[in-house]
Amino acid sequence: MIIAYALRNTHHPPVIHQREKITMISPSLSTEILVIGGGATGTGVAWDAALRGFATILVEKRDLTHGTTGRYHGLLHSGGRYVVKDPHSAVECIAENRILRRTHTHCIEDTSGFFVVTPEDEGDYPDRFLAACAETGVPCKEISVAQALRREPLLNPRISRVFEVPDGAADSFLATHATAQAARQAGARILTYHQVVGLLMDGGEGDKRVTGAVVRDTVSDETIHIRADLVINASGAWAGQIAQMAGVGVKIIPGKGVMVATNHRLVNTVINRCKMPSDGDILVPVHTVSIIGTTDEKVADPENLVITPGEVQFMLAEGDKLVPGLSRARIVRAWAGVRPLYQEGFSGDSRDATRSLTLLDHKARDGVRGFLTITGGKWTTFRMMAEKTIDRACEHLGVERACTTASTPVPGIEQGHYWLGHRLHEVEAEALQGGLVCECELVTRQMVESAARRNPTVTLDDLRRDVRLGMGPCQGGFCTYRAVGILHEIGRERHDPDFVLEGEADAEEWEVAYLQSPAQSSKGQSITAHATPGATTESALPTRSPAIDRRSPVSNPNLLLRDFLQERWKGVLPVLWGRQLKQERLDELIYLSLMNADHLPDAAAQSPMTGFYRGGDGEKKIVNGE
Amino acid sequence: MTDLLIIGAGLAGLTAGWHAAKAGQRVKVIAKGMGVTHWHAGTIDVLGYTADGAGVSRLLEAIATLPAEHSYGLLGEERIASALSAFTTLTAEIGLPYAGAHNPGENLWLPSPVGAARPTFLAPLGQVAGDLSTSQPLLVVGIEGMRDFYPKLIAENLSKQGHTARHAFLPLSLFTPRQDVTTLQLAKLVEEPSRLAQLAEGLARLVKPGERVGLPAVLGFEDHPAVLARLQEVTGAPVFEIPTLPPSVPGIRLHSRLRRHLEQMGVRVEVGMEAIGFGTNGDRIAWVETETSSRPLKHRATNFLLATGGILGGGINSDHTGRAWEVVFDLPLTIPQARDGWFRPHFLDGGGQPVFRGGVSVNQHFQPIHPDRTPVYTNLWAAGGILSGADPIRERSVEGIAVATGTSIAYSVLRSQDNDG
Ligand SMILES: Cc1cc2nc3c(=O)[nH]c(=O)nc-3n(C[C@H](O)[C@H](O)[C@H](O)COP(=O)(O)OP(=O)(O)OC[C@H]3O[C@@H](n4cnc5c(N)ncnc54)[C@H](O)[C@@H]3O)c2cc1C
Repeated sequence: MIIAYALRNTHHPPVIHQREKITMISPSLSTEILVIGGGATGTGVAWDAALRGFATILVEKRDLTHGTTGRYHGLLHSGGRYVVKDPHSAVECIAENRILRRTHTHCIEDTSGFFVVTPEDEGDYPDRFLAACAETGVPCKEISVAQALRREPLLNPRISRVFEVPDGAADSFLATHATAQAARQAGARILTYHQVVGLLMDGGEGDKRVTGAVVRDTVSDETIHIRADLVINASGAWAGQIAQMAGVGVKIIPGKGVMVATNHRLVNTVINRCKMPSDGDILVPVHTVSIIGTTDEKVADPENLVITPGEVQFMLAEGDKLVPGLSRARIVRAWAGVRPLYQEGFSGDSRDATRSLTLLDHKARDGVRGFLTITGGKWTTFRMMAEKTIDRACEHLGVERACTTASTPVPGIEQGHYWLGHRLHEVEAEALQGGLVCECELVTRQMVESAARRNPTVTLDDLRRDVRLGMGPCQGGFCTYRAVGILHEIGRERHDPDFVLEGEADAEEWEVAYLQSPAQSSKGQSITAHATPGATTESALPTRSPAIDRRSPVSNPNLLLRDFLQERWKGVLPVLWGRQLKQERLDELIYLSLMNADHLPDAAAQSPMTGFYRGGDGEKKIVNGE
Repeated sequence: MTDLLIIGAGLAGLTAGWHAAKAGQRVKVIAKGMGVTHWHAGTIDVLGYTADGAGVSRLLEAIATLPAEHSYGLLGEERIASALSAFTTLTAEIGLPYAGAHNPGENLWLPSPVGAARPTFLAPLGQVAGDLSTSQPLLVVGIEGMRDFYPKLIAENLSKQGHTARHAFLPLSLFTPRQDVTTLQLAKLVEEPSRLAQLAEGLARLVKPGERVGLPAVLGFEDHPAVLARLQEVTGAPVFEIPTLPPSVPGIRLHSRLRRHLEQMGVRVEVGMEAIGFGTNGDRIAWVETETSSRPLKHRATNFLLATGGILGGGINSDHTGRAWEVVFDLPLTIPQARDGWFRPHFLDGGGQPVFRGGVSVNQHFQPIHPDRTPVYTNLWAAGGILSGADPIRERSVEGIAVATGTSIAYSVLRSQDNDG
């Protein structure tokens, strides 16, 4: 317990110098609470646990939001969607909606939401909807069609009724990173690119106990043991796999949902069809794009999801019913996420499985102590899920500590709600045009440098999640090369005298509050930082990002480039036709013919990303307890 | 009356126009945009890799192994060789001479913007000194804050491939106080004598004896040859350009000089005109209609050359239902009419994406044909990126196919008129 004590009481917990050590036995850490999974749920759990004073470690096998959280639709639910079908969920949503607007203000755009009745929608649903909103306490006001069309001119003019609810759009990348930073500030340690490969178990039949986890650092390929008083499984659609490691059966029904993004905003308000929840019936404005979604299909594997041309066509056809002509808009990307749906003894279709959260106490359920599983739910309810989980954790650990997350804002909220013109405004006000490396999303060189230095970065895809690199219409055509060049330039060489080893200094890791702000990123730095290494505040920061640590194999620029191109291809493949196909051909011209990037040294080397786009698992086999 | 109406102002269209005009034809070029030259290296890539991914060293030997339906297979070695040699003459004529490798008939291997060795057959003199077939040490000099060129990355990759290479930076303030300059603006700034002098002095301080110096391809626009000569003179070292991220200054130099040359020969080149319709007269095309700001315009001609490029050039369009079509004459295409068949799962798949291999099928005269191999129209020809049978980007033959087919068609058209007459 000595280490656990230290963990709880220092701002920056002691660190194992993994890369320095030649280990005969696996190094180990101890903590009170170990959280598995760096999605919205797990990060929220770690935040809550740390705020309540528990020594906490979170492990995520890739980057934060690698799972469903980074592949969702972007809707901060008002609850309107569930008022008829699942009123309990509706009540939870509206309560959390109000809280998150205070705690995660800058991660949310206050778009408002419409429920519209199209000619196809069933007769009495609108009236039932209105009544159910009143019952569940979801604020709802009917407005005239004319008024709705004035606010959203592209909306189908044949709609007959419109109801307004407090829906919003939420950036789950930023929200999760900000929550992680808040957790760190409260003393939690967050280990990304750390995969649980087994659970540590004690005791015999009938008296089993989970005492920790065997964790593999997927960058360095080293293994550590993390001992914990309580292990919380927040691994979403992977929760069944983790539970299996403790010999416990948890049947997750992975329900795949497909989403398609247009290259610009067709609407500024969330548009829902006013009917029983179904497929392709919500259009959400998120940053520079609009996203139409989604579907629900039971799949076998939460990884390597395939999107068929038919699914995309279906989304576009449904989208046309909300905004006629949507199917002819330029489509920039399609992706899929899996709902971690769970229902005890359920064997039906994933669409009918419950959407509400599930907290499994394996002591009561399976006679295995020291182990909880939290799954199901929605992004909108992640904070509440975390609260319930840590309430139960307190019982297990025999302490009484109140939850404070509902009244504790995460860093960055003073920026106010997100608004679409935010970046452009800052770029113009501060004359930062010269530093733009991604013209589509207005990402500056300083934002890339700052994100890479202040946030653990392993791949360019991590930077995409941090600053929206490559998410616009050209899908990385121009910024990929620039980002690789920049990371390579700022990379610290082995012989750098000011190179700070991991854990030796107080890095401003997870400094994410202003990652999205061109103006803040440019403060105190010069664009020519690389000319005088160490001279600026920014480059004097110690670095913990493997992508710019030249001792780490993942800093190899050729692999960064290759992996991002491959990963990006996966996202654009389902939507390549017309102008976007032409764009893709231009990217081929640039990366193949002009750069000859497919004939660079090290082309065949493995990296932590390879498994993803190569298909198949690509990751090490999961061994139960090693 | 126009003898030859060329639709498309890329390298294929302009090369064909030059040959036809030289032979006394009345030629008109109409185009929506400028073609891919603006986005590429400004070199003439003829064939860099074979289907199995092997790098091509001796060009004609590799061409002989290509399948019969490949444009090069249809042309044969002799027509390809004479087209390339005519193109070299043309570049000298326009004051932007191109050259090939030291050993005739072999590919050059030039440093790319990431420091890979890119195979190409002819390059502007300003790039030739970068040939990686020789072992002279390289100094790659970048400009601080320039977002489209990364010398450290280039030098490191060249070193990894066994070359002696290092990098250095010059400050952007040497050229301009502004940060947001494009490659083309930089190229024009460099021509200004006092800036050029500063650049030359800056380089001279950096270069060590025995080195050659690679710079981003912004060494002047109109006066590029003079800029290059001046830098070599002051530094005493061979100086060469390495392409940047597009827009490509070497590509734009080539395109603009070619266009001007054609115009001086009396060829009208009208850009910003989109072909929107056509009329026929029996088995012949009678006219092509274009959209202009004021009114649709009908262009009549004896012969028509379709050089609109493929998917990249805009000559082929497609939609989400999996339909792909040739935009001017709706010619038969070899692209599968279902999206399932268009792609492979990996961007870098060695085999390339099937959708980009499809296009317009032609006979040995380069007339578009039906699946039964009969010509669709007797006075219509097709050149360059729109042709099926190859994936020019994968095999690095973008300009080679354009130049060789454009040249050859000009002569086929002439012959057909001789026959008619
Ligand atoms: C298509 C779709 C659209 C949605 N849209 C919305 C919406 O608009 N609004 C809304 O509120 N909700 C939405 N949801 C629901 C919401 O996205 C999810 O409920 C939420 O993101 C789940 O978060 P999570 O943290 O539980 O799971 P995840 O985000 O999946 O996190 C689990 C994490 O565990 C990690 N992990 C797995 N195995 C291991 C291991 N062995 N070791 C370490 N780490 C591991 C994974 O990498 C992953 O990052 C949507 C869901 C889907 C599928």
